[in-house]
Amino acid sequence: MNFAYYPGCYLHASAREYDISTMAVCKVLGIGLSELEDWNCCGALEASNTLTLSLSARNLVIAKKKGLDVLVPCSICFNNISRANSAIRGGGITKTMINEAIGESYQGEVEVRHLLDIIVNDIGLEKLSKEVKVPLEGLRSVPYYGCLTIRPSAILKFDDPDTPRSLDDLIKALGADCLPFKHKKDCCGGNLLMSSEEFSLKMTGDILSEAKELGADCVTVACPLCHAMLDYQQSKIESKYDIVIDLPILYFTQLIGLALGLGEKELGLDKNFVSTVKLRRK
Amino acid sequence: MMDEFGVVDASNLDPNLKYEISNQLGGENIKRCFQCGTCVASCPIWEIDERFNPRKIIRMALLGMREEVLSSEFIWLCSKCYACYERCPQDVRITELMGAIASIAEREGEEGNIAIKSTKPIFDKAFINSIRKYGRNFEMETIIKGVLATKGIKGLLSYVSDGFTMLKKGKLGLRPERVKEMSQIGGIFKALEEK
Ligand code: SF4
Ligand code: SF4
Repeated sequence: MNFAYYPGCYLHASAREYDISTMAVCKVLGIGLSELEDWNCCGALEASNTLTLSLSARNLVIAKKKGLDVLVPCSICFNNISRANSAIRGGGITKTMINEAIGESYQGEVEVRHLLDIIVNDIGLEKLSKEVKVPLEGLRSVPYYGCLTIRPSAILKFDDPDTPRSLDDLIKALGADCLPFKHKKDCCGGNLLMSSEEFSLKMTGDILSEAKELGADCVTVACPLCHAMLDYQQSKIESKYDIVIDLPILYFTQLIGLALGLGEKELGLDKNFVSTVKLRRK
Repeated sequence: MMDEFGVVDASNLDPNLKYEISNQLGGENIKRCFQCGTCVASCPIWEIDERFNPRKIIRMALLGMREEVLSSEFIWLCSKCYACYERCPQDVRITELMGAIASIAEREGEEGNIAIKSTKPIFDKAFINSIRKYGRNFEMETIIKGVLATKGIKGLLSYVSDGFTMLKKGKLGLRPERVKEMSQIGGIFKALEEK
């Protein structure tokens, strides 16, 4: 099972632990990764519709030339690159516009896959649970999907937009308890940090508060922006609302890695803002 | 255009606005909206503040309330959560429609035709400039330039200690990563700007 690995800008910077843990876990699970050569930024949430689709499509052309499908852990990149692929496949003037912008005649030959999808559906949870060396018994986690991993479902396809299950099932397969979580598909407000810090901290604060009330030991996420909001912004939320949360936020790859018996350094667990030490002792 | 009693002055409406939007990538389906309000019930921003209402902004755009729509704060507060897009029975694709309206607003703002009431496009520009220069986001530079432009020197100073923690954790590069084939990135910007 070989893929062109698209890390995206965040995984090479503030989401370094997602990059590290992705590579560590894929190695154990036999998912071959070769970094997409000369990849460029997908446009994230900052570029216009046209720029986002065009920048994203350039990466697809590189993957096509390598003859590989693209594996993306970042949900923002996954969303953008999937939408670009879908727009190309839809044909019409959008396809022409994109191909003119990138100077290619890409036809949508490549598949774009989220790492979560590959682990849950291609590797399969049965096989994954056989690889578990340290079952996460007694650990209580809430699954947090957020937005861009599951919506728009007509394009992203791999999970149900109303009752997503991939993270739920994954948490259980690793031996941990998955708590029912009302905020699992609500928006963290990460895109609003620069336009309304107040709104974005409120949105993330609501998510964290529910997780805390449920008595979770950690929140499991699949997106670097969700992670930055729940983890990095957590101390700001604590002081703004005068509350104590102290809840570790793990990428699902870090959670898998713990169950596979991988070490702190291999999973980048020392790079999370909220200390993950408690979890490692479990 | 709307007087203090909420009456719309029809003589000031711009009937072309809806076509301008539907010609913009992402805005194609605006005319399909039948005002059911499903998007509103899904919108987390409306939940916080009812002044921000996606159904309403679509109605205003269809009516041609140019200034209100393009200078609306809401278009910069859309979190791109796709909750409305997912549920809209008419496939209006509101998330991308918001982006289409924002692109028009940005252009009109640059030409001095409307006032933009948000710092979001200023930060976005810092981010885009990084892609233009390197092909990738150079987080350190984007944050310094973006925060300085939107929150001033005081705002930037509040990031300093976090910046050091990030550096210590190896989460912030001191040098940009560059795409080798920068001419291809330049080509994309050039092609889109010529449109
Ligand atoms: S859900 Fe769709 S059709 Fe209904 S009001 Fe919103 S945009 Fe219009
Ligand atoms: S995508 Fe924007 S308009 Fe739609 S529900 Fe989310 S925040 Fe509201």
